[in-house]
Amino acid sequence: MQNEPVGVLVIGAGASGAAFAWSIADIGTSVLCLDQGPWMKQQDYPSNGLDWEARGMADYSPSPNVRSLSADYPVNEQDSEISPLMFNAVGGSTILWAAHFPRLTPRDFRTKTEDGVGEDWPIDYETLEPYFSLNDRMMGVSGLAGDPAYPYHEPPLPPLPLGKTGNTLASGFEKLGWHWWPSDSAILSREYEGRAACINLGPCLTGCAQGAKASTDITYWPAAQRKGVQLRTGCRVREITIRPDGMADGVFYYDAEGQLHEQKAEIVVLACNGIGTPRLLLNSKSSHHPDGLANSSGLVGRNLMFHPYAMVTGIFEEPLHGRRGPVGCSFWSHQFYRTDHSRGFVRGYSFEAVRGFGPAQTALFGMVQGLVPWGEDHHREFARLYDHTATLLGITEDLADETNTVTLDPELTDAHGIPAPKITYRISDNSRKMLAHAVERGTEALKAAGAAETVAMPLVREAGWHLMGTARMGRDPRTSVVNERGQAHDVKNLFIVDGSIFVSAGGVNPTSTIQALALYVADGIKKNLATLFDPA
Amino acid sequence: MTESRNALNDLDFMDALLDLVIPPNASGSLPGAGGLGLSSAVTAGIEGDPLLGPMVGGGLEAIQEAALSENPQGLSGMTREAGEQLVETTLSTNPFVMMGLLRYLYPAYYAHPRVLEGIGEPPRPPFPEGFEIEATDPRLLEKLHARRRAG
Repeated sequence: MQNEPVGVLVIGAGASGAAFAWSIADIGTSVLCLDQGPWMKQQDYPSNGLDWEARGMADYSPSPNVRSLSADYPVNEQDSEISPLMFNAVGGSTILWAAHFPRLTPRDFRTKTEDGVGEDWPIDYETLEPYFSLNDRMMGVSGLAGDPAYPYHEPPLPPLPLGKTGNTLASGFEKLGWHWWPSDSAILSREYEGRAACINLGPCLTGCAQGAKASTDITYWPAAQRKGVQLRTGCRVREITIRPDGMADGVFYYDAEGQLHEQKAEIVVLACNGIGTPRLLLNSKSSHHPDGLANSSGLVGRNLMFHPYAMVTGIFEEPLHGRRGPVGCSFWSHQFYRTDHSRGFVRGYSFEAVRGFGPAQTALFGMVQGLVPWGEDHHREFARLYDHTATLLGITEDLADETNTVTLDPELTDAHGIPAPKITYRISDNSRKMLAHAVERGTEALKAAGAAETVAMPLVREAGWHLMGTARMGRDPRTSVVNERGQAHDVKNLFIVDGSIFVSAGGVNPTSTIQALALYVADGIKKNLATLFDPA
Repeated sequence: MTESRNALNDLDFMDALLDLVIPPNASGSLPGAGGLGLSSAVTAGIEGDPLLGPMVGGGLEAIQEAALSENPQGLSGMTREAGEQLVETTLSTNPFVMMGLLRYLYPAYYAHPRVLEGIGEPPRPPFPEGFEIEATDPRLLEKLHARRRAG
């Protein structure tokens, strides 16, 4: 079936696709977004029921391989030390994220200049600053202005309360004289734009039933639709099609009934993040692009970066009321963020202070760590842990490595027969040293905060939220996939606006930067429409 | 040897096993898992798990078989001590069976209203009431204000 052509076609309605679609609607042409997932309903989210923890491990698991819903595609992760996580719906992974909302720091954009590793970005923090601020207003960000780890910026809302967990952990950082600062959080501390302030449900990671946590289905999308953007759900793109001159022509996609559609567009925009985007490019082979679309550099799918996570949990004598409140939003620390060669690794990591576990997660955590037995002693040991834990996550900077890849699996396919992605990923020695350092320093901080006991996981496997680098940005077409405006070097009417265009990962959650990039790319298109397709 | 039945679908066996794994506490404020009617939810979870299901199902059948060989009533006819020892011995070579069972038992048990009350939580979902949390310690905020970067 052939559909009416559109001006701009956006693939993916998550963090970046929503921001981009909202912004690009200003040019007045028709804008259509396709997403393989559905609209979510807040009344269906797990925190409406007592079984919220069970559903977080089933239909609301962050792993597409566990959920296996019709919106999901399988990911072969057998050759990866970290499991990739994502959610496929309008809102994308912002449905299940923690909404911890740090920006990359200015130095993160120039790692080669600063530390001789990786590549510098072709743009800098200052270029993105107006888009960071605009995005903060669109998402509704709470935070405390003045963090010395960043250039001055003012979140539109005051910070979320730390709660007893955050107060306790922060006291440990104070004792040690280490940097800490209340997180910028895409969760409302006050009523904002028709959304109510957070009432501390706790299970942010299975969707916010109340709507205080920003997800783009309730932030950008209503505003984008008011501007006339069309959004079609249940639509899985098979490939990007090419005109005889090598420019993108549109896409073939399957609708929810499995019917194949052809959708032509003047501009095609990819917003499928660090796995979905290279998968689609590699599935879009043609005589013009025999190795996959926009892949003359051979870098599509290469340089996959996660953030390897270390986790240290403290067990305290005092109850901390930790399952209440935004689980991932308390404070961060950049104490070990910058390179210090005496530590034995380059670059660094941030700490994210998180709240306590729910009861089932406490029991399962206790089981895995050998702290909570089954049988006669179960209740006693459970009581020692439940409501008495607080956790520090070390989010380490992953350095780009061409051998960490997203490729197409030769056998595994999704429900439509489209080749599935295969992840090949190894933790570097540099990351391992950083993870070990984070465990040591995290243990020190927890003990300073009063923990009677600490338990560490030096690498959390199920933590591949952040998918970056697989179609990176740069000025040189031989060493990058898109230029400094997000435009594919090889295909002038193809743009990428998600985490795959990251050049370096930083040591912080990427969504704030992903969305700022999407707004920046949209603005670039708006400002350069007349010359957009001119030769470089 | 007594013939075993499908362990996961043997309600008496499952209830007895779940009560061994999470027994009632001494004060009675926390019920045993076997008396809460969780067997069907746990069984459904295990049977629907393509990775853990066959391993856990096989392990539970081994426990059932061993119990029946010791007592005609199986696990439900044995003392707690004897039952615990039998389970430990049977699973000694494959601890992942118990981990697989607990993967489904703990979320079911800790979602039950009686259990939530027993651990000091209100027996309701998080939404719509939500919770109160402690404000940020003003002494900490004062320190941050002293360090903040100027606008």
